[in-house]
Amino acid sequence: MGYALDFSAVLRGLDQLLWGLGLGLTMGLAGLAAGSVIGIIAALAHVFGPRPAQTMVRLYVGFIRNMPILVLALFAYFALPQFGIRFSNITTFAAVLAIYAGAYLTESFRAAMITVPHGVLDAARSIGLTGTGMALHVVLPIALRNALPSIGNNFISLFKDTSIAAVIAVPELTFQARKINNESFRVIEVWLAASFLYVATCALIAIALRRLEAWFPKF
Amino acid sequence: MKPILTIRDLVKTFGSHTVLQGINLDVHAGDVVSLIGASGSGKTTLLRCVDLLEQFDAGEIRLDGEPMGYRVEAGRRMRLKGRELARQRSRMGMVFQSFNLFPHLTALRNVMLGLTKVRRLPVAEARSIAEHWLDRVGLAGRRDYYPSAISGGQQQRVAIARALAMEPRLLLLDEVTSALDPELVQEVLVTIRSLAETGTTMLIVTHEMRFARQVSTRTVFMDHGAIVEEGEPAVIFGQPESRRLREFLSSMSQ
Amino acid sequence: MQSFLDVLASSSGALLNGLMITIAVSAIAVATGIALGAVFGLALTYGGAVVSFPARMVVDIVRGTPVLVLILACFYMPAGIGLSPGPLTAGAFALAVFCAAHIGETLRGAFLAIPSAQTDAASALGLTFGQTLGYVLVPQAVRQIAPNLVNTAVEIVKASSLLSAIGVGELLLTTQEIIGRSFKTMEFYALAGGLYLAINLVIATGGAWLERRYRLR
Repeated sequence: MGYALDFSAVLRGLDQLLWGLGLGLTMGLAGLAAGSVIGIIAALAHVFGPRPAQTMVRLYVGFIRNMPILVLALFAYFALPQFGIRFSNITTFAAVLAIYAGAYLTESFRAAMITVPHGVLDAARSIGLTGTGMALHVVLPIALRNALPSIGNNFISLFKDTSIAAVIAVPELTFQARKINNESFRVIEVWLAASFLYVATCALIAIALRRLEAWFPKF
Repeated sequence: MKPILTIRDLVKTFGSHTVLQGINLDVHAGDVVSLIGASGSGKTTLLRCVDLLEQFDAGEIRLDGEPMGYRVEAGRRMRLKGRELARQRSRMGMVFQSFNLFPHLTALRNVMLGLTKVRRLPVAEARSIAEHWLDRVGLAGRRDYYPSAISGGQQQRVAIARALAMEPRLLLLDEVTSALDPELVQEVLVTIRSLAETGTTMLIVTHEMRFARQVSTRTVFMDHGAIVEEGEPAVIFGQPESRRLREFLSSMSQ
Repeated sequence: MQSFLDVLASSSGALLNGLMITIAVSAIAVATGIALGAVFGLALTYGGAVVSFPARMVVDIVRGTPVLVLILACFYMPAGIGLSPGPLTAGAFALAVFCAAHIGETLRGAFLAIPSAQTDAASALGLTFGQTLGYVLVPQAVRQIAPNLVNTAVEIVKASSLLSAIGVGELLLTTQEIIGRSFKTMEFYALAGGLYLAINLVIATGGAWLERRYRLR
């Protein structure tokens, strides 16, 4: 076994790796934000909306959660241009991420909404709030706080899923690592480094989330 | 003088179980009606039907003569929904056993929510009305506290203020002290007594027999979904006629 | 220009082959993952510090790393120590380890959820730890995680699509090859999506059927 560990190639490419990490985090945040909008609307539609809306939401969630992200991304990036829809690979992937995240976030918000205590809903009804008023001023504020842990876990998964963007040549962390791998042949070091960066970032996000949860306690 | 609330032949079933077997009751302005009975006698269900939190199956409820919960169109009853139902609900106030304060709002904002979103008052006016009612229940100093930071008794008093701020025609109280630690019960009872003294019309479901006897103008005893006996508190508590009432009272004094 | 159906007819053999490989790799990964995951779960919950600490490290590192990175690492790293396992083996190994880490963590949760009163009762009866494990703890833990295994299997099937990145001829790569020859991009990606959906629905339905049959809930 004549392999001597030598991290110099990795260290030289560190700024590229970190830049890729930043891109991954940015895409993850964008996906989380857009996905949350989709998730809240879909959850409201499912909990308060008419039967057809419920079915549509269920179809959306069921379809997306059984689909590999890569297939969605390849479809969006290569097939949609046939219909004239053509965006950059980064934008396309972020949009796919948002739609993918939306399906999971819908379930997070829905679960949080239906666990708002019935008594609080009774009180809202008894002072004369209508369905819309109740949803907006009582259910949503409480549900958003209660959904925080679940949203946090979703974000961590989402961040890891940004690695898939490498397959459509988005220059995030995994793509950069593969590039360094192919150029320097430091096959062991680069993947140790990439893994370390992902694990460390996820750990930091988890710590930040715990702080956030302590600040906004569940109702 | 016409009653504020009239209930006629009210029936409510849950599946095959008839919880209310035809209730008839009148409540006049200034009445404080206490509703007593064993668990399962239908007292809470009656209150929830009056506040339109449950749909009743037969009979009628009228507030100031207006039918509650439905509209008559071409001789048929159409159940009210959405905004119309909400409007009717806002005319009655309800205080719950488990307080049900909005956990994400301060005491002041809990009281203000109905004023701004249902009665659509401007914020400044809503705030001053809310402050008045919080003061009335003795909690002016806890305005900016969240429900989790105040005691159960204080939460219940905020709940009373929240209901009264809507200026309801009558106030419904559903075992409002049952979930409180004993030492916190008194402050709530004192508040209710002071409301009675200033003429608030109330329908109170309670297990506090002594309190019911002292505060109410009329007492109604329910058993298995029907009103068994009704009359002046002194008579109901002192000279109960029916066997079931006598059994109930003796079981309560243990 | 051939129609979609013509291309489909002529490439149905290849597609079927890709589908089989997807199912086979996923099945192997899940089976191995369950076995290895059981080891991780036991090590994490009942191992002493000597055993649980390294297990904790491995599980945390694997769970904090994206699947694609695991796959690429398993593909490229062996060359550094003189091994050349080939894409299929490397990919299956990566998926198995990914699956095992997840199952190990879930099992740990399930074991910890069993009230300690159960172990007390078992000891009071005179059972050794090994017997307690086998007759009391493991059966309850397995019952707890059974619904979870369906979700894990679905995740592995979805992750198997990433093996296309290292050249394994599973469903997605096969689809891409067909698209490369026929340019029927939208149709075949849609078909691939439909096939993944079908596989996962079968898994979910099968899992529900098994749950009902053995009344595991």
